[in-house]
Amino acid sequence: MDGQATGSKARYGVWDIILSERYFKWVLVMPLIIVLALFLIYPVVWVIHISFFDYGGVKPPLFVGLDNYREVLVNQEFWRALGRTAQVLVTSIIIELVLGMGIAVLFNRNFKGQNFVRGFILLPLLMTPLAVSMMWYYFLQYDFGAVNLMLEKLGFSKVMWFSPNVALHAVTAISIWQWIPFSIFVLLAGLKSLPRDAFEAAKVDGASAWYVFRRLTLPMLMPLIMIIVLLRTMWLIRLFDPLYATTRGACNTEVLDWLIYRNVFVLFDIGRGATLAIITLFFTFVVCALLFRQLMKAMGVNLSSQ
Amino acid sequence: MSVKRCFFWLGIIVVMSIVLIPLLWIYLTSFKNLHDVMSLDIRKLVVFNPTFANYQYLFLETPFLKEILNTAIASIGSTIIVMVIALPAAYSFARFNPGYGHLLFITVSTRMFPPAVAAIPFFFLYKKLGLLDTHIGLIALYVYFNVSFAIILLFGFFREIPEELEQAAMVDGYSRLAILRRIVLPLVTPGAAITALFCLVFSWNEFLYAHLFTRSAAKTAAVGLTLFWGSLEIAWGAMAAQIGLLILPTLLAAWFMQRYIIRGLTFGAVKG
Repeated sequence: MDGQATGSKARYGVWDIILSERYFKWVLVMPLIIVLALFLIYPVVWVIHISFFDYGGVKPPLFVGLDNYREVLVNQEFWRALGRTAQVLVTSIIIELVLGMGIAVLFNRNFKGQNFVRGFILLPLLMTPLAVSMMWYYFLQYDFGAVNLMLEKLGFSKVMWFSPNVALHAVTAISIWQWIPFSIFVLLAGLKSLPRDAFEAAKVDGASAWYVFRRLTLPMLMPLIMIIVLLRTMWLIRLFDPLYATTRGACNTEVLDWLIYRNVFVLFDIGRGATLAIITLFFTFVVCALLFRQLMKAMGVNLSSQ
Repeated sequence: MSVKRCFFWLGIIVVMSIVLIPLLWIYLTSFKNLHDVMSLDIRKLVVFNPTFANYQYLFLETPFLKEILNTAIASIGSTIIVMVIALPAAYSFARFNPGYGHLLFITVSTRMFPPAVAAIPFFFLYKKLGLLDTHIGLIALYVYFNVSFAIILLFGFFREIPEELEQAAMVDGYSRLAILRRIVLPLVTPGAAITALFCLVFSWNEFLYAHLFTRSAAKTAAVGLTLFWGSLEIAWGAMAAQIGLLILPTLLAAWFMQRYIIRGLTFGAVKG
C-alpha cells in the first residue's frame, strides 16, 4: 500500500492527490493554518520575547530577564485587576444563564407576533458595543441621566453610578444588557431542538414540571450551557468597550484587559504590557482548555488519537 | 389558563421594554437640543421641541459619511475572506476531525487572547510595512478577529448534515467535488448566510483594533464616536444621532437573522 502511495504522484494528477482520502482534510484546513500561523504564532512568539525586555518603543529593547514578571506579580495592581475580571466573569455569566434560561423558557412556545418579539430581543447583541456603552453612560449620568430622573420620580435617591463602589457593577450591567440575547437565543435554540418523546413519556408518568426541567431539560442542554460559558468567558476577558465609553479604568474598574491596554498604549511600557498579556493568556488558556474538554466530551467528539 | 396567559404577556412586555425603551430614548435624544438633553425636568425626556441640528452637524461638520464608508469596506472585505477560509475548514473539522480536536481548540483559542497580544506586535509590524491606517491592514485584523467564531458556528451547521447523505452520493459515483457542490453547499447555505451576517456585524461593531490601527484615512465610525467623549462638553445630542445611525444597519440585520438563528445557534451540540 505504501509503495503505491509514493508511486501515485507519477501516475495521478495533482487533483487526485488533493482529493485523496489522506490529504483532502488537510487541504481544506490549509488556509486556516496559514492564518493561524500568521496571526497566532507570530504575535505570541513576539510578545513572549519582548516580555523579557524593557522596551518603550523608541530606544532599542533592554534585556531584563524575569524582572517584568517579578514586578507584575508583586504589584497589587495586577491582582486587583485579576480579581475584578473574575468578579465580572462570574456575576455576568451566572446572571446571563439564569435570566437567559428563564426568558428562553418563556419564549419557547408559539405565540402571536413571535418573530417580531424575537427580532427585537436579538437587537442588543448586534448593536455596536461602544455605542451601547456610550448610550448607557448618558442614561446613567448623575444629574440629568434618565435612570436617575426616574428613580427620583419614584421616590428613591439618585445613585452616583460611576463612583468607586458602584462603577464596576454598572459596567457589568451594561455588558449583561448587551449580551443576554446570546444566552437567550442559544438556549431557545436548544429547547426547540430537544426530542419530544422523552418529555411526553415523563408527562405520562406524571412528573412535575420542575422535575422534568431539572432531570431532562437541563442535562440535555448541558453542551449548550458549556458553549455559553466558554464563549462568554473568552469575550468577557476582553471587556474593553464599556470601560472606554464610561470610566476609562477609573473608579475601581480597571480589569485585566484595560491594565494591558494602559501599560502598552498609554504608558508605553511595552515589556510590562507584554508580560501582563502573557500571564492573562495563561489564566484564560487554562480555564478555556478545561471548558473545551468538557464541551467536546458532552458533544461526543473524539479527542484521543486512537 | 387565562391567568397564565396574563403572566406570559406580562413577561413579554417587561422583556421588550427593557430592550426597547433605551433604544427609543436614543432616537428621541438625537432630536433634542443641548438644553433639553441636560434638562432636569423628567417631562423633557419625551416632550420637547424636535430639532434636526444634530444630524446637520453630523453630516456637514464631521467626516461621518466617510467613516461609514470605511466601516463598510472593512466589514465586507473581511467577511468575504473569512468565509473563504472558514467554509472548507469547518467542513473538514465536522467530517474528518483533522488533528483530533487539537486544531479546533487552537482555532477557538484565537478568540481568547487578550486583544493586546495581537495588537502590540502588529502595531510595530504595520508601522514597518506602512499598513497603519489602511483598509487592507484593518481587514487582515478583522479576518483574524472573526475566523474562529465563524468556524465554531459553521462546524455546527456542517455537523447537522447527515453523513449518510454524502455516503449515498459517493456510492452513486459522485466525485468529492461534486458532492461538495451539489449536496453540501446547498444544505449549508442558510447557515453560511447567518455566519456571514454575524461576521459583518462583528466587524462593523469592532472598536479596539480600529481605534489603535486607524487615524484618518481608514477611520471607522465607532472610532469617530469617541470624538464626543473627549471634548470638555459632551455633545450628547449629536452623539445620540451618531449612535442611532451606527446601529441602524444592525437593526436590519437582526430582522433578517431572527428567522434562521433559532436553528443555527445549537452549534450542532444537541443531538435529538
